[in-house]
Amino acid sequence: MFSTLLAAVLAATAMPAQAFGQTATVAQMQAEPNQVQDVTVVQGDGYATLAWTHVDGATDYQIERTPIAEDGTATGAAVIVGVWRPNRQINNDKPTFADAGFAPGNRFQWRVRARLGTTAQPYSAPVSGATKAHWGDLNTPGQNLRTQWEDTLGAQYTSDVNEYAYTAAIDQLSERVRVVEIGRTINNRPINMFVIGYPTPPATPEAVAATNPLLVNCNVHGNEPGDREACFIMARQLAFTDDAATLDRLSKTTMLIVPTINGDGRAANSRGNSTGQDLNRDYSLIRQPETQAFVEMVRDYRPIASYDGHEYGNTNTGDLPMLSPRHQNVAQGIFDESQNMIEGHMYTQGAKDGWWACPYGCTGASVGLGEETILRNTLGLKNTVNSLLELRSSGGPTRPDEGNTANNRRRKTYSALWTFTQFFAYHSANASNITTARAEAIKFQSANTGRIVFRGSRPIPAHPAPHPGDTPPPLDAPGQDQILNQPPCAYKLTEAQYNGARTDGPAGRQTTVAQRLAAHGWKVIKVADGYLVPLSQPERGLVPLLLDGQAAEGLVDGERIAPTLTGTHNGPLTVSGVACLAGATVRGPIRVKPGATLIVNGSSINGPVDASGAAGFVLTDSTVHGPVNATGVRGPVVLVGNKTNGPVNVVNNTGDAPLVAGNTVNGPLSCTGNTNAPVNIEVANTVSGPKSSQCARL
Amino acid sequence: MTDPLTRAATSAPRRARRRATPVAGAALALLIAVAGCTGADGTGSAATDTATPVAVTVTGPLCDVLPAGDEPGNPTSLAGQPADQALQWIPVLTTFEAAVRATGLATELNGTEGVTILAPTDDAFAAKFSRTNLDELLLHDTDELRGLLRDHVVTGSLPVAELAAAGTVTTLAGTSLTVTGGDGGARVADRADTVCADYRTANARIHVINQVLGSLPTTAGDEGDDHHS
Ligand SMILES: [Zn+2]
Repeated sequence: MFSTLLAAVLAATAMPAQAFGQTATVAQMQAEPNQVQDVTVVQGDGYATLAWTHVDGATDYQIERTPIAEDGTATGAAVIVGVWRPNRQINNDKPTFADAGFAPGNRFQWRVRARLGTTAQPYSAPVSGATKAHWGDLNTPGQNLRTQWEDTLGAQYTSDVNEYAYTAAIDQLSERVRVVEIGRTINNRPINMFVIGYPTPPATPEAVAATNPLLVNCNVHGNEPGDREACFIMARQLAFTDDAATLDRLSKTTMLIVPTINGDGRAANSRGNSTGQDLNRDYSLIRQPETQAFVEMVRDYRPIASYDGHEYGNTNTGDLPMLSPRHQNVAQGIFDESQNMIEGHMYTQGAKDGWWACPYGCTGASVGLGEETILRNTLGLKNTVNSLLELRSSGGPTRPDEGNTANNRRRKTYSALWTFTQFFAYHSANASNITTARAEAIKFQSANTGRIVFRGSRPIPAHPAPHPGDTPPPLDAPGQDQILNQPPCAYKLTEAQYNGARTDGPAGRQTTVAQRLAAHGWKVIKVADGYLVPLSQPERGLVPLLLDGQAAEGLVDGERIAPTLTGTHNGPLTVSGVACLAGATVRGPIRVKPGATLIVNGSSINGPVDASGAAGFVLTDSTVHGPVNATGVRGPVVLVGNKTNGPVNVVNNTGDAPLVAGNTVNGPLSCTGNTNAPVNIEVANTVSGPKSSQCARL
Repeated sequence: MTDPLTRAATSAPRRARRRATPVAGAALALLIAVAGCTGADGTGSAATDTATPVAVTVTGPLCDVLPAGDEPGNPTSLAGQPADQALQWIPVLTTFEAAVRATGLATELNGTEGVTILAPTDDAFAAKFSRTNLDELLLHDTDELRGLLRDHVVTGSLPVAELAAAGTVTTLAGTSLTVTGGDGGARVADRADTVCADYRTANARIHVINQVLGSLPTTAGDEGDDHHS
């Protein structure tokens, strides 16, 4: 991210390295057999990347670090701080290792040696240099802020009180940052979010959403605080950097950072929130105020990509276990792009910078499955490209100097900072791929085609050994009883189911199904005998997971409403009550009676469609030869992924903002008089005629 | 519960409004790094204001990997601090320290008579309790947790040599602990060894130990505790 800065630092640190390089050249002429050659050290934020020339036949390499004074004399013992193994990276012929855990700013000398089997070979010539100090110039306001964690060199984590002061200081000192309180914890701690853009962040959530923002959720499990500290540092960097490339990125998108969704758990050092609920098993059910606030934020800000920070205990995994949204209801393109983010970007950049990314469950542990309650999967079902991030809790055999807790904490946090910085770079470089995947996913989900899987994951393909991920997480395929081959058209909830009081959630803070579906941003149609939730909407893959009686962790046992017409209908069709067309052909006009509901998915209609005065009107993945009229509809209007030959009118509707997205309209698109202006949630329509008034930007 | 509530409410950044509440000068000053220093002075004012000039020496195999010299959290810097504050600087005691806060035990630790705190490491807690069990103790069963902590506190501020020489000591919970000496440390209740002993605080000794004492059942490794991410 800070390439200019990095280049400057490189220039500075290249001097001693070159001096040693000359020494190394001399040594090279007298090189001992199997002695590592060409060691280079490049300083990053809180880490140093060592690279060297591969020694034929080397089984692994040991990295030694010695603290030194300005004059190069040792001030402490030489310690083996790292072990490079072939499964660290995808290109074994160019080994690299990110050494981390040291106190930023100190000077060191590094050496590398190969081992053949267990036999150590001669050390390389030494390379020395100063590591980068805590980011930010000490004489520049804003840049000179430091967290409690930085000030104590990792001996203490940043407390809630220190967080609020630091957050407020950044907010106050940087025009690029707006701190938004997205909610409160049960114990009334604020859940803040940094909204960061250049020169200023867009003023409203809707305006932020239009910039295809990216999101980091830093700390859901209170006893896993490493990523949160990285987020604080990154927020300061983004707020006060002069780096042109970073500012350019911030001028094109918006970075959203939620440092502490679980402030009560962080303060208590507990995994769960103050009720003991694991919030990362609640993002679909949103029983808790913390997860509800987060899901409402996602609804309003619409991040297109995200990372979710954790720590993990297995000593044998990589530095940075990651995992994509595997749930099989996630659109293929979202899964594929998430995999590309991890394997295409993070594996590649990790190999350059020496960090070891691998799929979560790297050692075959039974983790990383298909629960839709986990943010990774919930966000995938919300069409967000995303990944879990774990920071390996202990140093393990590859980082043997982390018995020292401060070393361990610093390595974890700076590896998270590297990941989030790379995430921003990935987002900028791949924005068009991500938005394309998202648009296709929204159209796919809204079409309501294909089977429903209540729980079960896509396989994570293994990388060929010995590269990262030769042992991927378990297959986790759905069983037959977790598959519904014929999806219903909608779920119908009774008044009691929809608005009735519930007992799940913290005492005095329970919410109704209606409130939770609203938090998710779902379309609900009020009908005579209840509430209809159509599957044909952007979060279709999540709908049955909450509303079907067969769901693994459902919210309510809704009534499956089957399609009413799947074949061909010749002649006019008049809709009263609820009609649902799925894969149907209608040769004639469709007229929806006032107060009736029409849902059409994947159908072909030869004739006008008139939904004037309907209770709800949903038309997706269909072809209409004739005009489409959504006029005076009281409830939801959803027009997604259709091809229409004729004008489309969205006029005088009184419900939530009509969703008009991803359609090809051969004719004019006219929108006037709607109580809430129609939206396309950043999925553009192709309109051959004029786009008028409220639809001018759709 | 009420303390963080009030604190959070008063110091929270404002809701979506900019610059409504300027950061207090003192709060900001604490956040700003001092020029000419690489951040290594973070030992904090509490430590330096009241620190005794006498260097504190801690003993045991774990001391090598804990803050030392002039690093933040070094033993000398903790000597003048209340015990509950000192615990916050010893990075292997995050569970014990959180438990002290959860149970409000600070009052007893900071009492004038002085106490000896046998503080199990985070690794010891992880080896004793499942994550779920630990959450229950920290969040719900705080009376039980308080009882457990009191099994780790002995009246009187005893250096490890005196502790070992005592043979038997009585905890705040009233339980009796046998103590044996050896290797410059002590073995407590036939199972816990001091791994870094003789931290001094304003009126307590802290000896870091490698096992959880008391009589609660071991739940670590229970089925169903393997739910990460
Ligand atoms: Zn976690």
